[in-house]
Amino acid sequence: MTLSPTRRNVLLLLLALAAALILIDFCALALGGVHLSLGEVWSGLLSRHPGSEASVIVRDIRLPRILLAMLVGAALAVSGTGLQALLRNPLADPYVLGISSGSALGAIVALWIGGRMASATPLTAFVGAVLTMSWVYLLGRRAGRLSSYTLLLAGVVTASFLSAMILFVLTLLSTRDVRGTAFWLMGDLSVVTDVQIRFLSPAIIIAILVLYAFSKDLNVLLLGEGEAAHLGVNVGRVETAVYLLASLLTGLAVSVSGAIGYLGLLVPHLGRMLVGNDHRTLIPTAAFGGAIMLVLSDTLARTVVSPAELPVGAVTAVAGAPVFIYLLRRTSG
Amino acid sequence: MRDSSLKNRNGFPVTSGTGSECRQIAERIPLGVLILALLLSASATSARVVTDQTGRRVNLPDHPHRLVSIAPSITETLYELGLGDRLVGDTDYCDYPPQARALPHVGAMLNPNLEKIVALKPDLVLGTDEANRRETADQLERLGIPLYGVTAHTVEGTIQSVEDLGRVLDWEQPTQKLVASLRVRVEGIEKQVQGQSRPKVLFVVWYRPLITAGSQTFISNVIQRAGGVSISDDLNSEWPHMGLEEVLNRAPDVILFPQTDAFAPGIDEFQKLPGWRDLAAVRNHHLYFIAETIMRPSPRLIEALEELANILHPMAKQQGEHP
Repeated sequence: MTLSPTRRNVLLLLLALAAALILIDFCALALGGVHLSLGEVWSGLLSRHPGSEASVIVRDIRLPRILLAMLVGAALAVSGTGLQALLRNPLADPYVLGISSGSALGAIVALWIGGRMASATPLTAFVGAVLTMSWVYLLGRRAGRLSSYTLLLAGVVTASFLSAMILFVLTLLSTRDVRGTAFWLMGDLSVVTDVQIRFLSPAIIIAILVLYAFSKDLNVLLLGEGEAAHLGVNVGRVETAVYLLASLLTGLAVSVSGAIGYLGLLVPHLGRMLVGNDHRTLIPTAAFGGAIMLVLSDTLARTVVSPAELPVGAVTAVAGAPVFIYLLRRTSG
Repeated sequence: MRDSSLKNRNGFPVTSGTGSECRQIAERIPLGVLILALLLSASATSARVVTDQTGRRVNLPDHPHRLVSIAPSITETLYELGLGDRLVGDTDYCDYPPQARALPHVGAMLNPNLEKIVALKPDLVLGTDEANRRETADQLERLGIPLYGVTAHTVEGTIQSVEDLGRVLDWEQPTQKLVASLRVRVEGIEKQVQGQSRPKVLFVVWYRPLITAGSQTFISNVIQRAGGVSISDDLNSEWPHMGLEEVLNRAPDVILFPQTDAFAPGIDEFQKLPGWRDLAAVRNHHLYFIAETIMRPSPRLIEALEELANILHPMAKQQGEHP
């Protein structure tokens, strides 16, 4: 374990991250397909002229999307952090255990059954995520408790089977639905509803806080299961809780935004380079970092090919791999 | 498919009276009642709730005059109806007529830029179930912008969708004129191909691998109307993948390609490709390009239909001209 910074430094760092997030949010509010002056953005945000074009664009189009990006980004990054510790595997990300594939299958089956002009619904996507999560949990249990090794294998096999099912259902869908589904599979934040924000914000924030409560146990767990048990940690209980919370965060995020790649893998590594391996600081750092990264990526997705838009997952995937390679070379060299 | 479009036609909801209906009523009822009726209808003129062809409830303004089209076929139809001046925005892919390219664009059909649409201040957005996503309609509804969706899965369905647009846009008489002329042309083709033998047609959407048009697209309907029969008529999907073996087995008389950039290499290519060169249609040089409008449900579809009928039944066309 690297030396953890002092409490004061940690607090300063978190404050700096929060300030950066607010600054980036405001930039994201000011940028988009339609050019608005800073004054228009500000008065639109404060709703000085309700119903005006600037107010509709800022408050009803850009703001909900930025809120969603923050929530989804934080959820994926914290989920990745938790899973990397739980599975003791630096390659673990929120999707390694098949939750995103289950969620995608849920959404696509809804499209398939719903037929013409149906929506890929967040609800069936979430049901798909929860079913997958339970199934992998049952497979991953050995002698009454979770085994990270079995869990990982069970998750990977489940994920590949579900991906195969997705390909199968895709062949049954009409072309238009397939093209629509592609956005979903790549990860896309363009479809936001107020209900999603209202439901997701408490759910994701509470799940992150509860996971945070286990951060000390996660630190101990990194020493090895035997050591952790000696130090009085109920390993089985911690592992189950972390698994369920991390999966829940992924399920919540994926059901509204599709499988946005790389973020959940990359941000925990960035966080560890910044603050070390102490989960008491790593988890909040990852939460802010994930929110910042996704808001940045989605702003790019909205503006780079304007007036057309890119799915945000395409942006994170294209940017993610080079950044990851850079980190790898820096840490190993 | 025809069933649902008929249902939509009949099921078009009761609305506040149009101008001509008001005049008919006026001749029969006393003045006081008329004034009362006018007062009542005046309060309801701003908008009415209708069900569009895709089955969504839409809050439709009575006289939509700032339109955004998010499907190329609709853009074409609006210009054809002489409503180009009501159009304030369209998609990056709206390329016909040329004026459509000069309009402000709102992005692609599947993910149009919502804020661009808001900035254009449309009172109605028009889309199709073929080109657009349900999510887009829901998002626009959230922003208080109505989206009216049409469906067109056959030649007749395309004509009916034009008719429906005319009704929605309060532009019935010019629309009826266009629709009548389209119907006359379709009937002309019907006469031209009547009693002729029906050549078997393979429609090639893509050739590596071979993707053809199944029964769920209107291409097979266009082929049938043009006096042919699609060999992939029994494949119950939109763009099925068909093996060359199966094509050899079904032995098409004519092979059709849409005129797109994808086929830039030219038809000669197929005379060298194994499998393809064994087809009678290739050996007999019965390979044809057809205007890309065969894939777009707009009034120009009828042009493609005529073109195809002339390819499949050239003799009948000549007989028709010199009886």
